[in-house]
Amino acid sequence: MITVEGLTKQYGGTTAVDHLAFEVKPGVVTGFLGPNGSGKSTTMRMIMGLDRPSSGTALVNGAPYASLPWPLREVGALLDAKAFHPARTAYDHLGCLAKTNDIPRARIDEVLDLVGLTEVAHKRAGKYSLGMGQRLGIASALLGDPGVLLFDEPINGLDPEGIRWVRFLLRDLAAEGRTVFVSSHLINEMALTAEQLVVIGRGTLIAETSVAAFTAQSALDAVRIVTPMTACFLAALDDAGADARLEDDGSIVATGMSTAAIGELAADRILTLHELSPLRGSLEDAFMELTHDAVQFGSRS
Amino acid sequence: MTTLDPSTLAPSTLTPSGPHRYGPAQAVRAEFAKLRTLRSTKWTLLVVVVGSLLVTFLATNNIRGRGRGFDSTNHSLTGLALGSLAIGVLGVLAITGEYGSGTIRSSLAATPRRPLFLAGKAIVVGAVTLVVGEIMTFACFFLGQGILSGHAPTATLGQGGVAEALVLSGAYLALLGLFGLGLGLIIRNTAGALTAFVGLTFLLPVVLQPLNQHGNPSRFAPEQILANSVAAVVHQPGQLSPATGLLWMVFYCALVLVVGTMLLAGRDA
Repeated sequence: MITVEGLTKQYGGTTAVDHLAFEVKPGVVTGFLGPNGSGKSTTMRMIMGLDRPSSGTALVNGAPYASLPWPLREVGALLDAKAFHPARTAYDHLGCLAKTNDIPRARIDEVLDLVGLTEVAHKRAGKYSLGMGQRLGIASALLGDPGVLLFDEPINGLDPEGIRWVRFLLRDLAAEGRTVFVSSHLINEMALTAEQLVVIGRGTLIAETSVAAFTAQSALDAVRIVTPMTACFLAALDDAGADARLEDDGSIVATGMSTAAIGELAADRILTLHELSPLRGSLEDAFMELTHDAVQFGSRS
Repeated sequence: MTTLDPSTLAPSTLTPSGPHRYGPAQAVRAEFAKLRTLRSTKWTLLVVVVGSLLVTFLATNNIRGRGRGFDSTNHSLTGLALGSLAIGVLGVLAITGEYGSGTIRSSLAATPRRPLFLAGKAIVVGAVTLVVGEIMTFACFFLGQGILSGHAPTATLGQGGVAEALVLSGAYLALLGLFGLGLGLIIRNTAGALTAFVGLTFLLPVVLQPLNQHGNPSRFAPEQILANSVAAVVHQPGQLSPATGLLWMVFYCALVLVVGTMLLAGRDA
């Protein structure tokens, strides 16, 4: 369980995180969504006790991170793809971390095996690809078998197979009853992985909702109409109170009326229809729309 | 077996056994593992050993029959100047290496009580450089006396002040390692911290040279403390006594480590 309340971070005159409040519950993957630079990483670092909040609190299992008796056994985090010394081997990197929290050596082999780095475990980590570095970061996060996990952009640098692997890993971890909080700037990836969403823009909370609700609420309900009687149809739509515009290919895109209502309108007015189809706005568009608004109108006093 | 004891249902195989929270023992063990698993540590220590012995060899080899006031102990420890440079580098890298690579975030996530993290590092850096420092001091002494014998006066461990000078010189090296650690902690950047270390330890006395008629300020610079105070058996006029010299070193270390700890405690990692 992660509880964030009134969390604020200011650097000089700029506010990176602005009175953020949300909760991340165990048992589901919670996506932390926002454009680049919206304050996701800063928020995660504050939860991990690495950055000091200007005000507000971030609690893990009800306590500030710094007060946890065995931090790595309660919380695991992947914050940087390269949070290891390039001259140290993966095995030694995990070995040093294990000693800080009295984690048995056998666990090192377990997590190396889990992330698929066993064969290169004794090679220097500086020689790893970005994807392998990411896997080592995930191994570090899992080292203490913690109940709370934070991943900052875990799929960066991974190939498609690696992305699938992370997706299943995150879901499995949540299914085991863990709290899984994963940030991304890619809404489509989150739609596939996460169940809950915390959406931020410019450091402020935009939405705390389920992926299903977010998708339903944000789909842009536009309807595409192809007709040989363009001018009459535009006039009819206007009469009916819909917003309509003519596209370059000659089709009409109408908003404010359902597909069914437009079909009935066409029948009433005896207008020929060649095509009538709903245009589902992509999640990406919806996300852009939401965060774009946050960027424009997000500043508050 | 009719009731379930909640403790047997603990989900994790890693459920704490033993102490109820992490502490100095864990911090020290982890820091020692960090130092041990870096190749740069081995190379730096190799430079300490080879460099110190080589310079001592060169410094004692061509000395012929000096008269009264000749400090053969101090002469045989000449090589420690080069060794102390490498020891300082070791101290600097112990912390700037973490900042340079981003490891500092893993480290502070694992040991969020920052003064404890730093104490672990200081204990390990101090202990390793003390052991290496004492060994190198005695090695340089015996090598130097061996070379000097026959063509210049030599010293033995039993002579007044000799053993004291050797033990204090080894301690000086450990303090210099901690001084490097403190500077690295304040500056965080390897190149910057190394520059500051070399500047304060080796170049400052040169810069202060013109002022030496006025109170001899360069005697307070670390490298001068080693050469003229700590390693000296024959006390030189106008220089600090061995104990005073070493106390100044303790003061410098405490200063940079305390400032560094305060900065670390308040800083974003």
